[in-house]
Amino acid sequence: MKRLSILGLFVTSLLFGTVQAQTADEVVNKHIEAVGGKDNWKKITSMKSEAVMNVQGMDIPMTIYQVHNKASRQEFTAMNMTGYFITRQDSGWTFMPFMGQTAPEPMPAEALKIAQDALDVQGELVDYSEKGHKVELLGKEDVDGTEAFKLKLVSKSGNEKTLFIDTKNYYVIRMVAKMSVNGQLMEASNDFSNYQKLPEGIVVPFSMQTAQAPAPMIFKKYEVNPVIPDSMFQPR
Amino acid sequence: MRKLLLVLFLSPCIAFAQTAVNSATFGALEARQLGPGTMSGRISAIEGVNNDQGKTIYVGTAGGGVWKTTNAGASFKSIFDKYCQSIGAIAIDQNNPKTIYVGTGESNMRNSVSIGDGFYKSTDGGDNWVKTGGLDSTEHISKIVIDPSNANLIYVAAPGALWANSKHRGLYKSSDAGKTFEKILFISDKAGCADVVVDPKNPNVVYATTWEFRRQPYSFNSGGEGSAMWKSNDGGKTWKELKAGLPPKPFGRIALALSPSEPNKLLAIVESSNTGLYISSDGGENWKQQSSPLNVVARPFYFSTLVVDPFDSKRVYRPAYSFSYSDDGGYSFSQASGEGATPHADHHALWVNPKNTNHLYLGTDGGVYMSLDRGSTWTFLQNIPVGQFYHVAVDQRSPYMVYGGLQDNGSWAAPSSAPGGVKNADWLDLYGGDGFWVTPDGADPNIVYAESQGGDVNRVDMRTFKSISIRPQASVGDDKLRWNWNTPIVTGSAEKKNLYVGAQYLYKSADQGRSWTRISGDLTTNDKRKQQQENSGGISADVTSAENHCTIFSIAESPLDENIIWAGTDDGNLQVTTDGGKTWSNVSGNYVVAGIPAQTWVSSIEPSRFDRNVVYASFDNHMYGDHKTYVARSSDMGKTWTLFKSEEFTGFAHRIKEDLKRKDLLFLGTEMGLFGSIDGGANWFRMKNNIPWYALVRDIQIHPVTHDLVLATHGRGIMIVDDISNIRDLTHEVLEKDVHFFDVKPMTLTTGIFGNGGTSGQGAWVAANAPAIPPVYYYLKDRISTGDVKLDIIDAEGKLIQSVPGSKRKGINKISWNLRGKGPKTAAGTKPDYGSFVAPQVLPGNYTMKLKVADKEYSQPLVVQHDPASLFTLEGRKQQYDAAMELFRLHERLAKDVDSINSSLKMLKDAIAKEPKAKNKKKIQDKYDKLEILKAELVPVKQNSMFADETRLRDEITEVYRAICTGESVPSNLQLERIRQLTSRVDDAEKRMTSILSSKQ
Repeated sequence: MKRLSILGLFVTSLLFGTVQAQTADEVVNKHIEAVGGKDNWKKITSMKSEAVMNVQGMDIPMTIYQVHNKASRQEFTAMNMTGYFITRQDSGWTFMPFMGQTAPEPMPAEALKIAQDALDVQGELVDYSEKGHKVELLGKEDVDGTEAFKLKLVSKSGNEKTLFIDTKNYYVIRMVAKMSVNGQLMEASNDFSNYQKLPEGIVVPFSMQTAQAPAPMIFKKYEVNPVIPDSMFQPR
Repeated sequence: MRKLLLVLFLSPCIAFAQTAVNSATFGALEARQLGPGTMSGRISAIEGVNNDQGKTIYVGTAGGGVWKTTNAGASFKSIFDKYCQSIGAIAIDQNNPKTIYVGTGESNMRNSVSIGDGFYKSTDGGDNWVKTGGLDSTEHISKIVIDPSNANLIYVAAPGALWANSKHRGLYKSSDAGKTFEKILFISDKAGCADVVVDPKNPNVVYATTWEFRRQPYSFNSGGEGSAMWKSNDGGKTWKELKAGLPPKPFGRIALALSPSEPNKLLAIVESSNTGLYISSDGGENWKQQSSPLNVVARPFYFSTLVVDPFDSKRVYRPAYSFSYSDDGGYSFSQASGEGATPHADHHALWVNPKNTNHLYLGTDGGVYMSLDRGSTWTFLQNIPVGQFYHVAVDQRSPYMVYGGLQDNGSWAAPSSAPGGVKNADWLDLYGGDGFWVTPDGADPNIVYAESQGGDVNRVDMRTFKSISIRPQASVGDDKLRWNWNTPIVTGSAEKKNLYVGAQYLYKSADQGRSWTRISGDLTTNDKRKQQQENSGGISADVTSAENHCTIFSIAESPLDENIIWAGTDDGNLQVTTDGGKTWSNVSGNYVVAGIPAQTWVSSIEPSRFDRNVVYASFDNHMYGDHKTYVARSSDMGKTWTLFKSEEFTGFAHRIKEDLKRKDLLFLGTEMGLFGSIDGGANWFRMKNNIPWYALVRDIQIHPVTHDLVLATHGRGIMIVDDISNIRDLTHEVLEKDVHFFDVKPMTLTTGIFGNGGTSGQGAWVAANAPAIPPVYYYLKDRISTGDVKLDIIDAEGKLIQSVPGSKRKGINKISWNLRGKGPKTAAGTKPDYGSFVAPQVLPGNYTMKLKVADKEYSQPLVVQHDPASLFTLEGRKQQYDAAMELFRLHERLAKDVDSINSSLKMLKDAIAKEPKAKNKKKIQDKYDKLEILKAELVPVKQNSMFADETRLRDEITEVYRAICTGESVPSNLQLERIRQLTSRVDDAEKRMTSILSSKQ
């Protein structure tokens, strides 16, 4: 009987060991490892990436300039015109000539607050705790047939995102960001795929599909640590 | 464009930062939810966040889950799609309003009420839920109350099972915020807890009412010794019964309300031999009857809502059959005014905004209403599509119409697609009462059959919307006819003009119900003990035909032989004739051998269209307290049966459907989900493709032309999965392939009947349309995580026409090509030009589709064809194409010219800067100026506002180019003349450019 109990305990602990959910930190660490490791990411000080969105035959090229924790510029060209979003620590600007805008306009505070989270080029999950972000593992969920860890990330500034991390390869396959627009919570969902390793050792997605967008953004090139003049982040 | 740019902006740079068949296999074959919102469904619970100006509201529904608004009803979002859809109660922790509790299992105990599977909690405002507390077997939860002084203390009133004895009922209390519950008031396995209120000023004082009730398929009883009113002064540890001044027992259901501003004041509607509103001013110790107007005493088992204003104990609301309010503590009642929307009858939920008590939300059998004047006038919120359909049918129009009957909301028809999407206004009201079967005539497109409860069958003319009663009458010698509440109206599958309806006898008509032939004897058990519905109700009579029993409930004619007719009854008989009704054989004893209980409702019968001996049937035994999923197949005309089994199954079975083309493809709708099988029922999977996982699926149709799967849900309206024909090609061989590119059907050139439609910008429910241009499909065994997916369209000469990026999800993916090439490169100016977004449709012919998945390529030939039914001739199409291409080339010429001008201007500018001699400088400057003048005639150079009127040659080309490309029409004479003019202007411009550039400096 005693032997049985011990055996029972052993089996129970085994079971417990296997069914015990992974902690948020374990998932985060494995994700960071999968995308190239913390050390490599911490070497990133700036980034330039070029992408294209093909909408039924029309290419909309996009270039993103980022300087870590300083500024970013997302620039896109359509109908022979170029528009941009500039995010800085102290201000943000939008210029959308396609929509009739004739001069850059300041970004509203709510939008700026969300955009500023993305200034962390090294990724919000790297040293998230030291950065003041909070992460919670909400379990596993099926993302269009792929099993994923569901991770809630609340940034220091209070923005909330849900990250879905593929349980097989630990890549982020979907991110749902919540944003408050004039007091109403809205969601923006992005799917990521085609992760590839850059010579610098980091692994980045070469495809991003925004929910409701007509086509994915296909990245052509990532340039790591380029020199980007500050003038790129000035509205003009 | 604006949406696209917004999307781009919202995309943060995250960069820095064995093949089982299941729902995922079908990937992008997702349902679109047709609605309607015009007739919503039964609302069972409404709770609002107290400190949010009445903006954040949670709505619990009878069969459509939980919906949330954060903008006072401007928009709603469904937040409970992965769980049981029948909602009994909602509670919000008002001190921490992101914490929400939901008790599943509605407690408005009508015959069609669904069941719950437990108690759920969210701590993030409904984004994520966990089932908790161990209340999984309660089946029905009527109320959840959180102790206002300690949010860990939660009371849950569980009336419990409706159709059987159960120990899982009573009043439950949690002391750990819902982790565990203890039963603190239990009367018997027949009587549960119907209501609970907590004194907000002294939360140890708890009142509860218990209720004894029971349904059987043929009777309902509300009332018994277990019904009583109770009070505890110690948070539920001990209870005493409250009796003084209440009417003599036995009681039925008691609705209880406490005045929050004066908690000693209580009101109760006590169903009894003297049903009425009773009041107490001393904490329930003594009661006296206050009033008994009709709206107070009507159907107490169904209308159990009574609410007192948070600050005014005299202001009492009684939402019931209609909306009544009192300003004298329930002595007299008034009704809402007729201005604005008149709330749909039958009310079950009311929330009064405590920060603005003029502001009310009311839940009815037809949806949610909002009032800003304490219920005098109402606005209907038309954006919650939770209609409760019983059946669905489709016709042969294009786009086809969908027909169905709604619980308490009549009989309806709507197009499957409509201009701008399927809107509330597209739904046509065909007939009143409760709606059930709505069946289009098999041969006459103008005729539809519809009914209200209890066999009130009508023929409706779709041209006039006039109806004629065609209910068969009893002949001499017949027993009184017994009509099921949900009487089947079925048209022939083999012979389209046949029409069948069933009482206990089966009737057939071949002339649209103008004359009937009784083609059977009594097909039921005719058990007199089950025909006591006149006595139904218990303490209060409640005879609505809902308890009519020993009736025919399902009818099916074999698609292979009109003489083979099946009829199933609500009391367990399954009968078949092979000679058009001359003789009948009862096979019910045979299915019992397969493990299906006797006396079950035969909920659906599906004779195979591939083999006359094969028949499928579903059986519903929940009215005997048995929720198992019974669905079976016979391959010998019902002599022997095989019961389908699956661990996936949940909910009692409503409908089994065999595919029209692939005989081993089956669909099953149950009270808790839609299931599919691709191997004849050996294995089943739950379908979750934008379908609530536990949707109440009552009926299933497959459209014979579009191959759409059309679902009638009892709580989420009609759902359509467009074109499931690719599921038919999913053989095991295909499933094992990494990538499978399904055969591409010939594509007919079209701009669509009315575009893709579907926006939610109207404040009402709008469903997306079927795709205007059929997509092509491919299967991915797994999600593509490395590499991209794209579809290249190549013409007969090998020229790449278009390249479209594709999705990468596991299972079936779809990709749409707009039947056009790429747009032209247009000349750059300061103003935007949309010409580059436009391309003409390709010409009919042979093309190749090359699907590129990572580094592999898969090809399918594609035939693009002209629509012979179009008024636009093939010759006209060629003329359109030629004209469009002329303009296309003109755009590209101009773009090249402007590029040359721009580079010349740049060179000249440099030359001016470098040129030392003033005379030469001036010459170059002259040339520069001439070029600038020319450019300013070709493209806008001054204005960059889209509203500026600086129309130049480029814009003029675009104007006519777009006009010709976008329509399905031959170019007009003036359009063609315009092309000649524009061409000559481009010619002139080029001559001038050459002349300027070649002139000597």
